[in-house]
Amino acid sequence: MTTVLTRLIARALLLPTFLIALAIMLKGYADTGDGFSAGVIASLGVLMQCVAFGPEELDTLPLVKFAPAGTFVGLMLALSIVFIPALFGAELLTHWPAAGDSATHFGTLEFITPVIFDIGVFLVVFGFCIGVIGAIARAQQRVLRDRARYDNAVAERVASREAGR
Amino acid sequence: MHYNAALVALLIALAAPVLVLLAGAVRVSFASPVAIGMTALAFAVIVQSYWRGDDRFDVVWAASWDIRFSLELDGLARLYAMLATGIGLAVVVYASRYLPLHLHHDHRPEGEILRFYGFLLLFMGAMVGLVMAQDMILLFVFWDLTAIASYFLIGFDRDKDESRAAALMALLVTGISAVCVLIGALILWKEHGTFALDQVLQSDANSAPVAISAVLIAIGALTKSAQVPLHFWLPNAMAAPTPVSAYLHSAAMVAAGVFLIGRTYPLMDRFDWLLDAFVVIGLLSMAVGGILALTRDVLKQILAYSTISQYGYVVFLFGLGGEHGIGAASFYVIAHALSKSALFLTAGAVTEATGQKNLSGVGGLTRRMPLLTIGSGAAAAGLVALPLTIGFFKDEFYFATAWERHPLFGVAAVGGAALTFAYISRYWLGVFGPFRRGTMPAVEPQVLSRLLVWPIAVLGGLVVAGGVVLGPAMRMAEQAASISLLTDVHVSGAYHFDLRAENVMAMSTWVLGTLLLVGRSVWWRAAIGFSRLGQRVGPERLYGISLTQLNRLSDWLHDIEVRDLRSRIASILVPAGVLVGIALYVTPNGSEFAVGKITRDDAPSILMLLLAMFAALAISLPRDHLNLALVLSCVGYSLSVLYAFMGAPNVALVAVLIETVFSLLFIGMLILMPRTILRYETARRPERRRVRRDALLAAAAGVMAFFVVWGSLSKPAADTTAIDQFIELTPVAHGKNVVTVILADFRGLDTAGEITVIAVGLLGILSLLRIGRLR
Repeated sequence: MTTVLTRLIARALLLPTFLIALAIMLKGYADTGDGFSAGVIASLGVLMQCVAFGPEELDTLPLVKFAPAGTFVGLMLALSIVFIPALFGAELLTHWPAAGDSATHFGTLEFITPVIFDIGVFLVVFGFCIGVIGAIARAQQRVLRDRARYDNAVAERVASREAGR
Repeated sequence: MHYNAALVALLIALAAPVLVLLAGAVRVSFASPVAIGMTALAFAVIVQSYWRGDDRFDVVWAASWDIRFSLELDGLARLYAMLATGIGLAVVVYASRYLPLHLHHDHRPEGEILRFYGFLLLFMGAMVGLVMAQDMILLFVFWDLTAIASYFLIGFDRDKDESRAAALMALLVTGISAVCVLIGALILWKEHGTFALDQVLQSDANSAPVAISAVLIAIGALTKSAQVPLHFWLPNAMAAPTPVSAYLHSAAMVAAGVFLIGRTYPLMDRFDWLLDAFVVIGLLSMAVGGILALTRDVLKQILAYSTISQYGYVVFLFGLGGEHGIGAASFYVIAHALSKSALFLTAGAVTEATGQKNLSGVGGLTRRMPLLTIGSGAAAAGLVALPLTIGFFKDEFYFATAWERHPLFGVAAVGGAALTFAYISRYWLGVFGPFRRGTMPAVEPQVLSRLLVWPIAVLGGLVVAGGVVLGPAMRMAEQAASISLLTDVHVSGAYHFDLRAENVMAMSTWVLGTLLLVGRSVWWRAAIGFSRLGQRVGPERLYGISLTQLNRLSDWLHDIEVRDLRSRIASILVPAGVLVGIALYVTPNGSEFAVGKITRDDAPSILMLLLAMFAALAISLPRDHLNLALVLSCVGYSLSVLYAFMGAPNVALVAVLIETVFSLLFIGMLILMPRTILRYETARRPERRRVRRDALLAAAAGVMAFFVVWGSLSKPAADTTAIDQFIELTPVAHGKNVVTVILADFRGLDTAGEITVIAVGLLGILSLLRIGRLR
């Protein structure tokens, strides 16, 4: 079991991690970072919770439970950015607004389709990491439980044999 | 009504399997009516086109490769499509009764009939597409689709070893030869600059590459038509249920082979030696198929060898060539398909009624099955070319062509036809004739369903009708031959009551055939000896040996690969190293290795590289797995610092994150491993010899990798201009970070592909670990 200190720090760092991930993703077009890095950073934050509180935490954290399914939502999001232009007769992955046109700003954030594409990438990476971490953590618990059960069974058999003797 | 017959026929044929599966999903008994209806519809559209004339459909498929989805329902296509759908209709009707019985005998669920219909109709669709295809790539796609469908059809009884082996054999033999067709098509494209068949066929280039492509296409076609020496897959394919044999081996799969010869005949025609080869192969197939058909006892085997021999006639006629030869070949295909499918279906009906698969087990069935006797009798009469059947004219044309070319060919033709007369008579008289054999069990044959008899009777009726009303079949043969020869062809036939060469040859065939039948004791030993010789040194034996050896080689490599983790890694690294070494050796400028300048600014990078190098070397030291994982991550972290020094913050960030996640995953996986194995591996001291071997292998692979990297870095990067362009365009694309813009915009399609792989990987991992839970 982890100490209170570990758990406290893990929980305290969760929101800042998410914020950094969000910033890295949204500012990716102007600064270092992109959806991929953001996805990995966010999932490292969740992994920390997993280490401190155990894999059950993955099910209790809001929204994180849906992250693995989010992989496919993200994939669809990114692929629709790729394919929807084709419906209008444009090349695959034609971004909007077109090159050189001005885009709507909100601070440094620009409303352009590459950002949506990047959000798709983020969801895929985040979901992948959470899904794999969760699957491995659950498998680990199962292995540990099986091992304990096996040890108990052996101990019981030894005990009964000795009692019989 | 106005419609495009080419497109409509293909759409109906391709929609048929889908609709049948949907109907079958609602209720299994709905499948048969839908299958029959769709086949009849496709047949009707194609028959109607006989009066409507040719139809074209042409759209761009892959513009950048100049591939078109181009169909034409011309005379040649109509002939084969009509056979594929018409005979298909008879077979589907027959199968609607036969298959449930077949499945019932084998104690299999009745729903499996859907699989049968699905693949049979897929085959039909592929066949209809194949014969209309006017683009070489499209043609190849349909060609391969027939091979795939035939694999599942021949292996329909998948719980039987022989079915699976036969299916694999048919797939390998026809599939490998299909690759020949593709290579031939690509060579032709290289020579002519187009995949369009009509342009390729109308040119008269006869350079060496064109000759090679003609040979390759001919190999594909002859293999599909089961011609000697690649004929052995056909008798084995008889492991399939009877309707499959009746369809594939009379009107569809084997017909596809001679169709391809007919379609590409203007190409074949440019090389006289190729036509001579057709003559030789055709005669050989006629002889081998005929002799072996005489020795077989299993009903379907007789017919299988007969098919080899009959298509030998067609190939022989193509080899003789000319207006008469091609016309006769086209006519022959029609006459043969009608008769042979009926005889195949007869074999299934007889087996269903008596439970006997062998000729020696049946006999004298006439009294019990009058309609079957008449129907199959008409079909057999057609095949042995008796007057008043369509088959009479197939042999008349065949004799006339052979005699016209050379009397010796005439003699060979009579010999082949006499063999046909003998084995078909032996088959039909053996089943229905009054000559009962001594050991025959006195089993009372069961009454057969009408669905099993009427298709045969109708086919038999057509054989006779074709001998009385000659017009339609001849027009079809004419139209088909005109396409093959690119000029108008005239085919005409009538009954002549005189002693012209054809008539004399026909009569000598009957006499000779009867003599063969009667004088069995004379040739029997020789024929059996020939059959044994074939089993011992024939091509089938060669196929078996090469398959076994290939399997052994694969097992050997596999054993090496899975012996332990080191061997597995070595089995990837060493061949890769060797291949790279060869590539470096043969590449003209592969030996340019330049050493760049090192300045003081490079010091931090060198420091980090040294760290990475030492960490990499240190990987070989730790014995326990946790330390190993940590040292491994050390390499990655030092490289990411290097990226940061080189002014690539984005790459550095990603590298750090990847390294972190991977280290954690490594450690996570270690917990999943059984502790005993980890402890054992930690405590184990490897043998000296193995350590040395591993070091050698690692060094070899490493040196190769080193030279590849060095070599490629020595050359100025080819696409620096592209990178400059990216940097220049980044602000226009609303970005300041080139890397992100490249990932999401310039090379966004690559990213889309990569994230798809990640998502699929997640599915794989989750299902693997979930199966673990169910364990």
